[in-house]
Amino acid sequence: MSEKPPVVKKMSSLFLIVIFVMLALSIAALYQALEVYRNSGKFDLASITLSFSAIALSSYMFFQMRAKPMRLGFEMQKVFTTIQCSNCSFTSTRTFQRGDYILKEIEPCPQCNNKMIISSIYREVDEKEKEKETKLLS
Amino acid sequence: MTSGVPPALSQDLFPQDIIGWIFQLVWIIVFVIFMFYGQRIQTTIMLKEIASSLSRLKLMRDRGRKIAISTIQEIGKPSEDPTSRVDRFLEHVDIEPVSLDPSGIIERLDHLIDVRDVRFKDEVKVMAPLADDTQVNNLTNVLEAAIALNQVYKIIRHFYLMGKKTLSIYIIMQLQMILPLIMKESEAFASALTAFSLGQPIGDGVGSLVAAKLMQGKEKRQISKDIVVSKVPIEGRTAYVLKAQGPGGNVGKPGEAIKEVLEENDGKVAMAIVIDAAQKLEGEKLGEVTEGVGVAIGGPGVEKYKVEEIAVKYKVPVNAVLIKEDIGDVVSTMRKELLDGVEAAIERINRLIHEKTKEGDIVIIAGIGNTIGIGQ
Repeated sequence: MSEKPPVVKKMSSLFLIVIFVMLALSIAALYQALEVYRNSGKFDLASITLSFSAIALSSYMFFQMRAKPMRLGFEMQKVFTTIQCSNCSFTSTRTFQRGDYILKEIEPCPQCNNKMIISSIYREVDEKEKEKETKLLS
Repeated sequence: MTSGVPPALSQDLFPQDIIGWIFQLVWIIVFVIFMFYGQRIQTTIMLKEIASSLSRLKLMRDRGRKIAISTIQEIGKPSEDPTSRVDRFLEHVDIEPVSLDPSGIIERLDHLIDVRDVRFKDEVKVMAPLADDTQVNNLTNVLEAAIALNQVYKIIRHFYLMGKKTLSIYIIMQLQMILPLIMKESEAFASALTAFSLGQPIGDGVGSLVAAKLMQGKEKRQISKDIVVSKVPIEGRTAYVLKAQGPGGNVGKPGEAIKEVLEENDGKVAMAIVIDAAQKLEGEKLGEVTEGVGVAIGGPGVEKYKVEEIAVKYKVPVNAVLIKEDIGDVVSTMRKELLDGVEAAIERINRLIHEKTKEGDIVIIAGIGNTIGIGQ
């Protein structure tokens, strides 16, 4: 389960061809507009802007289409176990171990030697995911 | 534009009027293609998208199967390879009782659920002979999640192939439209499988956790199938707190347990409070606690029906305390926000008891949900 998620190629050959044709045409159009400026001194702002936009768009699409690691949902998450002493205020948190469960009695408290229990087991969510949720809520 | 001027090398390469022609030609070709083949192209693009999701679902299904097999081998130490048995088990189907004549359907459904439960546990015991009761329950949950992933994959594959065969845009479009939700649910099942294999508490267990915290340190007894109950004094009232028996993956029969408690007390119960996880709407906060009336028990409805029936018989008001969470959180390892929700739910229960009952009354508090990773 701790294996890395498989990387799956998401590059579609058809889209790749479309992107490269678009890129070639926009570079040609840009070159043409610059040549016109060099020869006649006429600055065709519309053509240059359109060509740059097309170059930017095709580059963006190309980077978006790059192979990305696929998320399947089996990824190991950060799960923590909180241990609490039933007598004193001693609390500690460690990573989850197989066999842990909430309200399980475990080794005695290092401070008062009284019994300790697992008070909670929880999953920590990525900060990115949390930010996304907060953004959606705001 | 370049006529009359000696052409430069660059102009030879890209004569301006030719580029203009190329652009016009491309535009006309694209227009014609889209006019005649627009729908076909759209269909192909949608099919490609579905195919990509389908390959993801296949990976999920295969990975789920692998995890199920390795967990069985690790925990149950079987003498023979459980692969063929697991593969056979993944094809398990449940046939719902006939609803043409709805009379008695609840009893029939209840019976089928019991048969299924026994069948699953028996199979797991054969596959994993060294597993204890808790592990048997957890492994049953693992296999259930693997079955769900297998079923989802097969159903989507069926509609994908049907769409491809018939090229019906209506089949393909419907499938493509619901695919994001299906992928989200499948990811949730995948996440559940990991949590079940490790015995971690899941979001669905918030109700059980509330009950576990209330009954902590009190004497417990089994009251119905896989359900334990404790008598807990709360502000001078006697609360019967019940939950599924943990820490194995279990939901038990809370409806039957509530019925049992009511009958034990001749129906003299001032109030029943049912605590469960509830579907969070988009925009709502995870772990938010809400209150209401009615029986907050999910699933096929058998347990809910039992509580409703007995509550009507004894005229017992049933209150619900709900902890909001997303479908992805319900079956994956419990998030920290839900623990805060548990504390808030306990406060709400205390307030409800304080406001709606008087000293000396009897109250039932039922924590609903899968109690995997939660003791008592």
